Amino acid sequence: MLCSKKKSLEVERIVKANDREYNEKYQYTDNRIHTCKYNILTFLPINLFEQFQRVANVYFLFLLILQLIPEISSLTWFTTIVPLVLVVTMTAVKDATDDYFRHKSDNQVNNRQSEVLIDSKLQNEKWMNVKVGDIIKLENNQFVAADLLLLSSSEPHGLCYIETAELDGETNLKVRHALSVTSGLGADISRLAKFDGIVVCEAPNNKLDKFTGVLSWKGSEHSLNNEKIILRGCVLRNTSWCFGMVIFAGPDTKLMQNSGKTKFKRTSIDRLMNTLVLWIFGFLICLGIILAIGNSIWENQVGDQFRTFLFWNEGEKNSVFSGFLTFWSYIIILNTVVPISLYVSVEVIRLGHSYFINWDRKMYYSGKATPAQARTTTLNEELGQIEYVFSDKTGTLTENIMTFKKCSINGRIYGEVHDVLGQKTDMTKKKEAVGFSVNPEADRTFQFFDHHLMESIKMGDPKVHEFLRLLALCHTVMSEENSAGELIYQVQSPDEGALVTAAKNLGFIFKSRTPETITIEELGTLVTYQLLAFLDFNNFRKRMSVIVRNPEGQIKLYSKGADTILFERLHPSNEDLLTLTSDHLSEFAGEGLRTLAIAYRDLDDKYFKEWHKMLEDANAAVDKRDERIEGLYEEIERDLMLLGATAVEDKLQEGVIETVTSLSLANIKIWVLTGDKQETAINIGYACNMLTDDMNDVFIIAGNTAVEVREELRKAKENLFGQNRSFSNGHVVFEKKQPLELDSVVEETVTGDYALIINGHSLTVYDQWFITLFNIVYTSLPVLAMGIFDQDVNDQNSMDCPQLYKPGQLNLLFNKHKFFICVAHGIYTSLALFFIPYGAFYNVAGEDGQHIADYQSFAVTMATSLVIVVSVQIALDTSYWTIINHVFVWGSIATYFSILFTMHSNGLFGIFPRQFPFVGNARHSLTQKCIWLVILLTIVASVMPVVAFRFLKVDLFPTLSDQKRLYTSQSGPLCGVYIIWMLHLTLGLLCLQIRQWQKAQKKARPLRSRKPQTRRSSSRRSGYAFAHQEGYGELITSGKNMRAKNPPPTSGLEKTLYNSTSWIENLCKKTTDTVSSFSQDKTVKL
Amino acid sequence: MKRKSQDCPSRLPDNSAVKQQQLPAYRLQLSANKILSGFFATGVFCLGVGIILLLSAKTIKEVEINYTEKCANCAKLRENAANFDKECNCSIPFVLPETMKGNVYMYYKLYGFYQNLYRYILSRSNSQLVGTDVKDVRNCAPFKTSHNGIPIAPCGAIANSMFNDTIILSYNLNSSIHVKVPMIRSGITWWTDKYVKFQNPSFQNLSSAFAGTTKPPNWPKPAYELDEEDPGNNGFINDDFIVWMRTAAFPTFKKLYRRLHRIEHFTEGLPAGSYSFNITYNFPVNRFQGEKAVVLSTLTWSGGSSLFLGLAYMVTGAVTWLAFFSMLAVHLRLRERKMFFLQQ
Repeated sequence: MLCSKKKSLEVERIVKANDREYNEKYQYTDNRIHTCKYNILTFLPINLFEQFQRVANVYFLFLLILQLIPEISSLTWFTTIVPLVLVVTMTAVKDATDDYFRHKSDNQVNNRQSEVLIDSKLQNEKWMNVKVGDIIKLENNQFVAADLLLLSSSEPHGLCYIETAELDGETNLKVRHALSVTSGLGADISRLAKFDGIVVCEAPNNKLDKFTGVLSWKGSEHSLNNEKIILRGCVLRNTSWCFGMVIFAGPDTKLMQNSGKTKFKRTSIDRLMNTLVLWIFGFLICLGIILAIGNSIWENQVGDQFRTFLFWNEGEKNSVFSGFLTFWSYIIILNTVVPISLYVSVEVIRLGHSYFINWDRKMYYSGKATPAQARTTTLNEELGQIEYVFSDKTGTLTENIMTFKKCSINGRIYGEVHDVLGQKTDMTKKKEAVGFSVNPEADRTFQFFDHHLMESIKMGDPKVHEFLRLLALCHTVMSEENSAGELIYQVQSPDEGALVTAAKNLGFIFKSRTPETITIEELGTLVTYQLLAFLDFNNFRKRMSVIVRNPEGQIKLYSKGADTILFERLHPSNEDLLTLTSDHLSEFAGEGLRTLAIAYRDLDDKYFKEWHKMLEDANAAVDKRDERIEGLYEEIERDLMLLGATAVEDKLQEGVIETVTSLSLANIKIWVLTGDKQETAINIGYACNMLTDDMNDVFIIAGNTAVEVREELRKAKENLFGQNRSFSNGHVVFEKKQPLELDSVVEETVTGDYALIINGHSLTVYDQWFITLFNIVYTSLPVLAMGIFDQDVNDQNSMDCPQLYKPGQLNLLFNKHKFFICVAHGIYTSLALFFIPYGAFYNVAGEDGQHIADYQSFAVTMATSLVIVVSVQIALDTSYWTIINHVFVWGSIATYFSILFTMHSNGLFGIFPRQFPFVGNARHSLTQKCIWLVILLTIVASVMPVVAFRFLKVDLFPTLSDQKRLYTSQSGPLCGVYIIWMLHLTLGLLCLQIRQWQKAQKKARPLRSRKPQTRRSSSRRSGYAFAHQEGYGELITSGKNMRAKNPPPTSGLEKTLYNSTSWIENLCKKTTDTVSSFSQDKTVKL
Repeated sequence: MKRKSQDCPSRLPDNSAVKQQQLPAYRLQLSANKILSGFFATGVFCLGVGIILLLSAKTIKEVEINYTEKCANCAKLRENAANFDKECNCSIPFVLPETMKGNVYMYYKLYGFYQNLYRYILSRSNSQLVGTDVKDVRNCAPFKTSHNGIPIAPCGAIANSMFNDTIILSYNLNSSIHVKVPMIRSGITWWTDKYVKFQNPSFQNLSSAFAGTTKPPNWPKPAYELDEEDPGNNGFINDDFIVWMRTAAFPTFKKLYRRLHRIEHFTEGLPAGSYSFNITYNFPVNRFQGEKAVVLSTLTWSGGSSLFLGLAYMVTGAVTWLAFFSMLAVHLRLRERKMFFLQQ
């Protein structure tokens, strides 16, 4: 407590490395985390306190207190305490289990091992024992234990790569680098142990992208920013080790600071239910007032004279006062009108559904051995009402695997497979892949199906060679050899990875690079090119070029980039080839492939030297440096000779297209948030059917601020009108069931409750035990069984017809209108339940002449009718009768009778004469023929109108679901769209992974399976998409990311000199620019 | 880590029917034909039952004689509580035009007596009435104890307000000979009431069992002296008392008083002729503007049914048929239209 108080005052953090004693005095928290809410001692008080903040429980408590006042107590206390205890216990058990699992996961995390430098030695230590100021060692692919200041790493210049997926969901690697003063420490344990720098920095906060602090070491100060910090939750990648000093630990880490209290999420049904409960409560009050006034009048007119028999105490003779007391009595009697049990039922149904989600084999992803997991039970039924799906692109829509699929070289397409008849056939069909076994460097995962390309290469087609050479030369890939001597490419952009790998497999192997050279192996011979200039990629240029000198001394510019851009810069002689190539490009684009145009230019030695000089001048310039460089790039990248184009497939996850199609049919709008470039985003949109060619306009929203975006959206909306999908991705949920049952649950409750309203004067018609048990035992189980097990439409049909989903979205299944129908139905039923026995019992004697119109018999008759009516109602609403439904429906009727007979038995009366005054009643009443006739009539009268109403509704206004239900046998399974979805409800974020299901069946229905190939683009559009970041060219030419073991520069030619200190800042700056611009316009990308 | 990889295969959910929601199930499909024939059948059934009920209700003979006004003198006397110990008799002659065949039951009937008042209903002590604890008067407010604190037995408002008129039916064979119609007082209560719910305290002598208690204020005599003719019909197990204690659900109710003993002139039932009720008028109704009547009635197979149930069945049956026909019309009409569309 004291500690937390101190923490709240913390304005500045001072940490000294390797000095626990020094840091001790600030009482910083250690690395232990607590996400659990309770422990054994605090569980009861805290949990009860939380529970009694809920309206429902307070209401119960209030009733309980009312019932303890003898003057107004109209029901005994157990009618309230039983449900209250039941609800509270159930919730407590649920909370306890949840917390138990939190304890478990906390323990698991706290007990992870990390290597900590203690007493000048690296020791294994549990995460929870890591303290602020400790120096810990991380190895590749390890989770970061705390927020660290990066000191040194295995990579040159103290660089390290981290993946921040857990923090921000981005899967691309980020670069962090240590201060140059500390990166020198390396892995030298003794030096690291002596490191005694003091970090003064900001207090713990939740800003993931900001950090400010100062490191004082050896008498000098170094400012620290976010680039030097590795946050807890990140994973170290591509870096064999690094050392860091713990700045924030445990709950102070940025990750934990962000995971604040999870907001309790309410579904729209919850909200609706709350509103309705409020209304019902208001209704109850009105009812109470009306009845109280009635009571006053009655007391005044009749009761006054009736006093002989009831001798009111003097003080109570006042009829107004009597009315006042009656008001409270009625509030108690009618308390079940407020459907508190509804909350419990809904809770249980949700729990049941979440188990079904967890158990569903069709939602099991065998690839990762992951079953679906409903992390929260509160939102299940909302799945049936999803209107928008927001999705990430990479990893969700796409596998983030790029594969080189096709290319067009000098007007000829390679990679298209033709069968015997000369027809284009499906790529995925079994066809012998081109064998690369002759090539020792071949990547086994690479598959290419067109043998013509290999033939062309063997025949020495110069254009083909030039094309592949370009692919091997013009890129930012880094190569390295692993311990086994295999060539490993470190790829910054997966597109380039695909291209370089393709070139490698086709015999043009990129071997190594230095800042000045690129070495490739051309069909077995090593060739070293001098890298003269690197014209880096950026979002405006949409192209990148390298200028190299081959061993023969020729200078060549190799360029790849967006077709639209490159085509403008071609030499006029390329016209024919351009037409041909652009046809090819548009064909590729139509297939959803990402394309790049490829071109080269032979450069004159003199011309290049002049140009290079100008470039150097421009670089040295202070004024308008960037513009001048830009201009020079423009100048040299012209009169290009077109070579062809590449087509890379950004591999979609299996089933994405089918899923997206189904989602569209289900009227679910999909939004994809992506940090990609516009072109890439559009490309993916087409690839996965979110955008189709029949959408006339794609509106591009490119605002950078919230205001701009809103404005643009508004404009787009005006233009749009009707066509409302902007951009999207596919994830689905069909939750066919829940909403339907919910209304039934409500309905039953309401029926039951309203039946209670109508009762004689100041008289509770029912046996008090009946009231207590009614909601809990007699009717809740069948409702629950229905809620949990019912399937109004079978899974096949619901898959086949995504349109079934629409009513849920429109809230057609449970809304206020429906609710009022339920209420009307309930009132009607209750009237029937009361007045039919009333009329029948009035002035009537039983078979043995005895009077049967005593209030106990009347109560038993009504209760029995009610239970049967409700069961019949549930039975009618249950369209899917499993054994469990049978057990519950019949079981609850059986239970009712057995409980009835037990409670009316001599034995129980003998033991508790005061509690069970209904002795013998069931036996006597239920043997009377006329009572059964009354019950029968009541059932017919209450059920028939409902059936008739439904019949007419189905006949006159059939819904799709009705048709499916009525006509399943005729239509049979219609189409085969097989989607398996994983529900991944985590912190309110639906992260759904899609799987295709039953490929065998898919094969059987090839007609239905939609393939990208079948979609032909009617319009020409560019398939350009390239995941590339600016700044890497600079990194390469500066050589900063190259290991020292690389051969030193051999060329005497001056290389482009940049301000050597600025490259990393440039890179970082550009990276953050991208990030921040992304965060600004993340609302809409298109 | 190792454990994790072992776990992997087992993470596939069980392939049981329950978990995969593939329990064998019957899909309830209410087709139009089923619903329509259901409605038709229900209509037939209701109308049938209704007709049977109405016909059998017609065979019931019932005579009701309201004697509130007819015994005005006595009523006036009872208005003054001070006259509670004065007897008042009243004779009401009437003519039975037809023979009442079979078992005939005699009821007393009260109008406007709210035996269903909430506080009234609760004002009794079941543990006292079952004889376990004569002095247990906990729930009996406002009739727990007398002024001097002695517990009342039987306590409570219900017992205190017990109907205590005596009704004797006599048959006028001719103008001079009046025969008292033989009546049975037993068998008018539920078996469970008589033998389970109501028990006298176990004592040799009933009056000593009630020692330490006092009679309800409205009662002229203590409970153990309710029936002077039959000593076995006293205390809590007195039939009339038990019948009264089974509180009525509505403010107008009739309670079984006596059954016809079918001997002598009455083996067939009550023959037509002139009768008279001789009533000892004790129970005051004028104070709450109530009325009281005596009812003679026969029964049928379904008891002393009124016309209501039969009529209700008829109405329900008729409405069901009406619904059936209109639904049929709608359905056929729509089907025609659908066919039309299909042909197009």
